[in-house]
Amino acid sequence: MLGYNRAKGLVNLNQKNLHSLTHYYGIFCLLSALLPTLGVFFIFTICDDLVFAELVKEYIPNEVINSKDYNFTIVLAQINNSVEGLVFGTPPQWVTNAAEIWKSWVIKSNILTMIVCAITILTSGFLSYKKIHSEFRSRNAVEKIVMTILGVSSVIAILTTIAIIFSVVFESIRFFALIPYDEFLFGTVWNPQFEGAERAGSGQEGLSQYGAIPLFAGTFLISIIALCVSVPIGLLSAIYLSEYASSKERAFFKPLLEVLAGIPTVVYGFFAALTVAPFLRSSGSMLGLDIASESALAAGLVMGIMIIPFISSLSDDVINAVPQSLRDAGYGLGSTKNETVMKIVLPAALPGVVASIILAVSRAVGETMIVVMAAGLAANLTANPLEAVTTVTSQIVTILVGDQEFESAKTLSAFALALTLIIITLGMNFYALHVVKKYREQYE
Amino acid sequence: MNSKKNDLKSLELTVGDVFSKNARLKARNVNVFYGENKAIDNVTIDIGSKEVISFIGPSGCGKSTFLRCFNRMNDTIDSCVIQGEITIDEENIYDKKIDVVPLRARIGMVFQKPNPFPKSIYDNVAYGPRIHGLSDNKEHLDNIVEEALKRAGLWKEVSDRLSSPGTGLSGGQQQRLCIARAIAVSPEVILMDEPCSALDPIATAKIEELIHELGNEYSIVIVTHSMQQAARVSKRTAYFHLGKLIEVGKTKEIFTSPKHNQTEAYISGKIG
Repeated sequence: MLGYNRAKGLVNLNQKNLHSLTHYYGIFCLLSALLPTLGVFFIFTICDDLVFAELVKEYIPNEVINSKDYNFTIVLAQINNSVEGLVFGTPPQWVTNAAEIWKSWVIKSNILTMIVCAITILTSGFLSYKKIHSEFRSRNAVEKIVMTILGVSSVIAILTTIAIIFSVVFESIRFFALIPYDEFLFGTVWNPQFEGAERAGSGQEGLSQYGAIPLFAGTFLISIIALCVSVPIGLLSAIYLSEYASSKERAFFKPLLEVLAGIPTVVYGFFAALTVAPFLRSSGSMLGLDIASESALAAGLVMGIMIIPFISSLSDDVINAVPQSLRDAGYGLGSTKNETVMKIVLPAALPGVVASIILAVSRAVGETMIVVMAAGLAANLTANPLEAVTTVTSQIVTILVGDQEFESAKTLSAFALALTLIIITLGMNFYALHVVKKYREQYE
Repeated sequence: MNSKKNDLKSLELTVGDVFSKNARLKARNVNVFYGENKAIDNVTIDIGSKEVISFIGPSGCGKSTFLRCFNRMNDTIDSCVIQGEITIDEENIYDKKIDVVPLRARIGMVFQKPNPFPKSIYDNVAYGPRIHGLSDNKEHLDNIVEEALKRAGLWKEVSDRLSSPGTGLSGGQQQRLCIARAIAVSPEVILMDEPCSALDPIATAKIEELIHELGNEYSIVIVTHSMQQAARVSKRTAYFHLGKLIEVGKTKEIFTSPKHNQTEAYISGKIG
């Protein structure tokens, strides 16, 4: 289609004075033929299920509709399962019938889609081909189309983010209808129980407590330990890589450091749980310290190692971006290498370094697998890194894993936790951007 | 003079008087290589004390490279190899015993583009004295900063905002700040690598005036693309071409009656 259009465009137009280069006409034809077709295709594939669902109602027997526990979604799911060949037990005869009819509709709609697509591609191709004449500004038209595609892509990304936040917000509102938000935010005991257990009257009534402070305290304790490990190591290795290492060493070490970022966090998790934690425990007992086998220290140390590449790689880029002229000025005044790095290069690179640290923090706060495996689940409110603590993310995991009753406060509390976590990380990022901007204004 | 001339091969190439009676910097048969590439070919020249000398020549003739040999700035480039001898007050600066840090404090440098540190005006000037431990107390340091800024002709403009960032100044002010920064460590020689190439004519005039004044106290080597500038600020001029020092002489003579035909061609605008 493209070749056809382009060739025609070329032959047709070469003798005249074209406004744009010939290949723009080809691209224009291609885009204006393909894009409407894609749109039509998507509309058809999205709509056909909805249309079928309406149509299939006719095939549901009246006695089913009139029965007490009739739920259209469940019936529809039954029919869909049957269509896809997933049959549990013996479905009623009408379900099988409806499925058969559904299948025939699918085939018909596929054919219809193809026909409509073919018609669209031909008509829009033909229309755009008709548009081509020497005055037609196809370059500008192509620019416009490309701009729209780029804009739509970024809007999709933003909309997804907004959708995520809203889904969390709505579930959180349901949670706060059950539990007052001041109890959630300022309570110091985290002890979720199933309402079923409470109702059973086994002496557990009123035991559920949703105070999130121990979880956030645990999160920040582990993050601080992680930062104590990763900031010095990451920053110093970035300085070494960008200022001291020869290009050969740099080419060797930098990818090696970045491999750390590629290790799945589950692997870090069992490294923490199976290697670091026992090591800490045994060396602690030698010193007479009682270290829990699941400790904040083990999780924090390993998490620190995990986020080293974030800090080192980003800081290295930032330090490299400091103009050579500033280094020259330093050397020209008789600074040693160390003085130049510490007093000139690092201060100039500071906004970027701060940004990389903030990024590492939000990574640490949101990290899940390591803490699930190494930090434990006991919601202790403690500042002692040798004890077991739990974090927001690992609580969310334990709450949502497995079969849960969705309406219970316990399950919904996961969303409230997630919302609070999102607000905190957003706030941190916002603050970081503010800091960076302030430095920029001062230095540029 | 004649016997000396015979000792030095480079004089086969260089026209004019390369030597100076009270020489502070002496370069003898200097060759500079970037890898395989010979950037400076057998250059011999003296730079007198309290003398302003300008290096002129077409782009890529090696004048900046040669300038950077005097404070060993080429050390930072891995592939750069320097042969020959450069002395300051009869001390070989490429001797293994010489520490490059105090050397660079003795030979200051001002760069092509103004490059103030992203710090306050005060800290920019105080940087050098601080790292070299030139002052013991705040008062003394304040005096050094004030003196340097006064000499660089910047004091009146910035005395009320010493704590504002140096990068917030105009281009010409930034360059004078860089000069103040270089003066603050009281160097003996100041190297200037096209100090006005990024400035407008008014700022350039101010810098030239400043160079003129500073020439009474320091030896100044200035690399410039502008022949008018060389004529305005310097007493001696050296013309470089393709890594060779073609001609050295009093500025007046170079511009009015060049002895070498290449110099004449450059000055009259035929090459360059």
